[in-house]
Amino acid sequence: MKTPAALKSLALPAALIAVAVFFAVREPAFLGARNLTQLLIEFAMVGTLALGMFLIILTGNIDLSVGSGVGLIGGIAAVLVTGHAWGAGAALSAGLAVAVLLWTLMGALIVKQHIPSFIITLGGLLIFKGLFWLVIQSSTVPVSRGDEDNAYSLLTTYYLPQGAGLALAGGASLLVWALCWRARAVRQSVGLPAEALRSYLAGPVTVTVLLVALVLVCNRFRGVPLALVILGAVTALVYFLTRHTPFGRYLYAIGGNEEAARLSGIRVDRVLIGAFAFMGAMVAVTGFMTTAYSGASTTTVGELMELDAIAACVIGGTALKGGRGTVWGVLLGALIMTVLLNGMTLLAVSPEMKFIARGAVLALAVWLDVKLGRA
Amino acid sequence: MTAPLLEVRRLTKRFPGVLALSEVTFDLRAGEIHALCGENGAGKSTLIKLLSGIHPHGSYEGEILLDGQSARFASIREAGAAGIAVITQEFALVDELSIAENLFLGREPLRSGLIDWPAMHQRAAALLAEFGLHLDPGAPVGTLGVGQKQLLEILRALDKQSRVLVLDEPTAALPEHEVAVLLDHLRRLRARGTACIYISHKLDEVFAIADRITVLRDGKSVSTRPAKEHTVATVIRDMVGRELGDLFPRAAPHAAGPVQLQVENLSVARTAGGPAFLRDISFELRAGEVLGIGGLMGAGRTELLMHLFGAWGHRLGGTVTLGNNPCVPVSPVDAIAQGLVLASEDRRRYGLVLEESIGFNLSLSSLRQFTKAGVIAQAREEKRNQHYFDAMRIKAGHQRVVAGTLSGGGQQKVVLGKAMMTNPRVVLLDEPTRGIDVGAKVEVYELINTLTAEGRAVLLVSSELPELMGMSDRIIMLSAGRIGGVFSRADFSQEKLLAAAMSANAFS
Repeated sequence: MKTPAALKSLALPAALIAVAVFFAVREPAFLGARNLTQLLIEFAMVGTLALGMFLIILTGNIDLSVGSGVGLIGGIAAVLVTGHAWGAGAALSAGLAVAVLLWTLMGALIVKQHIPSFIITLGGLLIFKGLFWLVIQSSTVPVSRGDEDNAYSLLTTYYLPQGAGLALAGGASLLVWALCWRARAVRQSVGLPAEALRSYLAGPVTVTVLLVALVLVCNRFRGVPLALVILGAVTALVYFLTRHTPFGRYLYAIGGNEEAARLSGIRVDRVLIGAFAFMGAMVAVTGFMTTAYSGASTTTVGELMELDAIAACVIGGTALKGGRGTVWGVLLGALIMTVLLNGMTLLAVSPEMKFIARGAVLALAVWLDVKLGRA
Repeated sequence: MTAPLLEVRRLTKRFPGVLALSEVTFDLRAGEIHALCGENGAGKSTLIKLLSGIHPHGSYEGEILLDGQSARFASIREAGAAGIAVITQEFALVDELSIAENLFLGREPLRSGLIDWPAMHQRAAALLAEFGLHLDPGAPVGTLGVGQKQLLEILRALDKQSRVLVLDEPTAALPEHEVAVLLDHLRRLRARGTACIYISHKLDEVFAIADRITVLRDGKSVSTRPAKEHTVATVIRDMVGRELGDLFPRAAPHAAGPVQLQVENLSVARTAGGPAFLRDISFELRAGEVLGIGGLMGAGRTELLMHLFGAWGHRLGGTVTLGNNPCVPVSPVDAIAQGLVLASEDRRRYGLVLEESIGFNLSLSSLRQFTKAGVIAQAREEKRNQHYFDAMRIKAGHQRVVAGTLSGGGQQKVVLGKAMMTNPRVVLLDEPTRGIDVGAKVEVYELINTLTAEGRAVLLVSSELPELMGMSDRIIMLSAGRIGGVFSRADFSQEKLLAAAMSANAFS
């Protein structure tokens, strides 16, 4: 049992490095500061959506509607800003509210009417796509009026000053250290055997090293992109939800054995609707970033992003039948997907081949999921 | 004496933490009906799973010989191809398809690549006629009764040229007259040379039909003898191998406390608008008391518990009072909050999240106890888990071990530990010892004693009468959804209980 698990945990980073090396050799600009920063912004979009999808897949459900949702919600906010002269903050809030409402509704339909999530969200995919095109009247709607920056457009164009980036990384690291230290102290105070110091330090040390390295890379260009900070916040939130709250536990329990979860006194319906509502919020955040990244809401924004999100989860070891997966796996999966997309764009791979490659990676990931007995 | 058709030599099968079979020896001759007897957990089902390839070759020690040749089945398919057919309680029939389609499922007669419907119906009709079944081959299987489905499974196995039929509790769900029909068919098959392994708890049937009897106990083959040399008493002696008194350590009943659960005139339908399935059920359960609930399969025992737990059925009438509060638990969440907890009979399906750790499962119903401002205090949770992990004597290295890797008994202890952690007033136990080994059984019985000593009330459902009689202070026998009889400890006898269980004919 030990070897495959260890192999599995190394397989993802190894795959990531292999893909990155391949692109770096073919196109040295891949590792340039500018491209890496862009890649990280794209990673923030795919990663945020994938973390939302993660909660859904954990319960053994799926959401095919998020790509259309990304376009729709970004489009609504853009139209409010450009067409109705709303402030960016109000427009984003409205978009967020609509997304949470729509996804709560889909969740309610799924659990109350016992319609499989696959079907409801497939319907959602089409309905949201239609609504999206209606909202933007199949045209191009900029995210800001004139050439002014607003909170919407800045989502993917704002970079933290170099010092601020380092301070943020330092602060976040300190927080992680403090929390881990406290957890250890509490364990000892209730009389549980303390685990080896090394296993306690592994987490905080890894987080610190990664954060600082990330900031240093970003600072070679313009600094840490705001989008990456958003992904960081979402990651912290999802990690906290899945590891430290009953809600997160219940997601795993429902995915592992829904009937047992119900008979254990878990409000399965509420938890599922909650997961979908959270997905809605993630769709909104991703929608804002994605639309801002392309500068305007156009009919193709968000297209096929549901597949990238699902692929990220599955590549990262989330079982499609539910009950298994980790935040770190999903992030790695999202990064692998982003590197593939970014690298192919950089190599000027034709759109035709990009579709085929994306599909092949998704199929490969699901096949591995089945092969490794996780589906 | 004919040479054995099927022979089993020194079979040993281990599961993590449990020795399921230990050097079992067994043989089966052509034209013989050989009964396999033993308590639950004695290893009967494991033996069948080895013979039928469910546990493939290589997962056990010892040898299986078919026609004197070493048989190494990698799957059920291979065993089936070699002529071994297992007929279990869970029918491998598709309700929506016709009788003919089911009979030839996966091996439909073909003509130029297409299904040859006339030939299929003809052969089906011939098979049915041979067994004196007056059924339309085109009728959907879903319309058949349990007994007819059983026969259909047997027909299918015979048509596949199976030489060894393994029947696992074939009469558990059959009414008396259909049992007689089945036994008649089996006798005719015997005359044709088919060999049959017959597993049943009902010893009268065993004696009515078996040529030889092998008794398994704790994974070992204890004895193999011609049925003529056995009596019911000697078979039971071999099966139990010990005094029953040792097995059921029910402490002398305490002075019963206040009424914890009062059920009056309860009637419940399966779904809203449906006919009553449970009718007019009334009883009371006091603190410190074990109330046993018995009955035949389908009498409504599990449904009663599930309804009390808020997880089944639509209440048509009657009241349930918990302590002093009228309670209509509409969900398990409510029930647990009010001090009622259920340990389900099917722990793999309804009890555990098998892929998660022991600790995850133990605290699953009780997370509220450790949650402050929406955050789980994990150190406190782990501490509490450890308490139950130790108290239940779960045999694993630590609580991070995955629950699915535990033995049946270990899993049952996790289910019970999870229930205990909710600090219930009333504990509903549905077949708490099904499929676990004798040692773990005694531990479960001791737990029941502990629960009642702490003043909790226990509702115990069991299909094993000795267990029911050994552990209950009073017994209610259900019969076709009604109370067939109520017995206090002095009146316990297998005959009386069984008579009450059959007081209403569930199948009329």
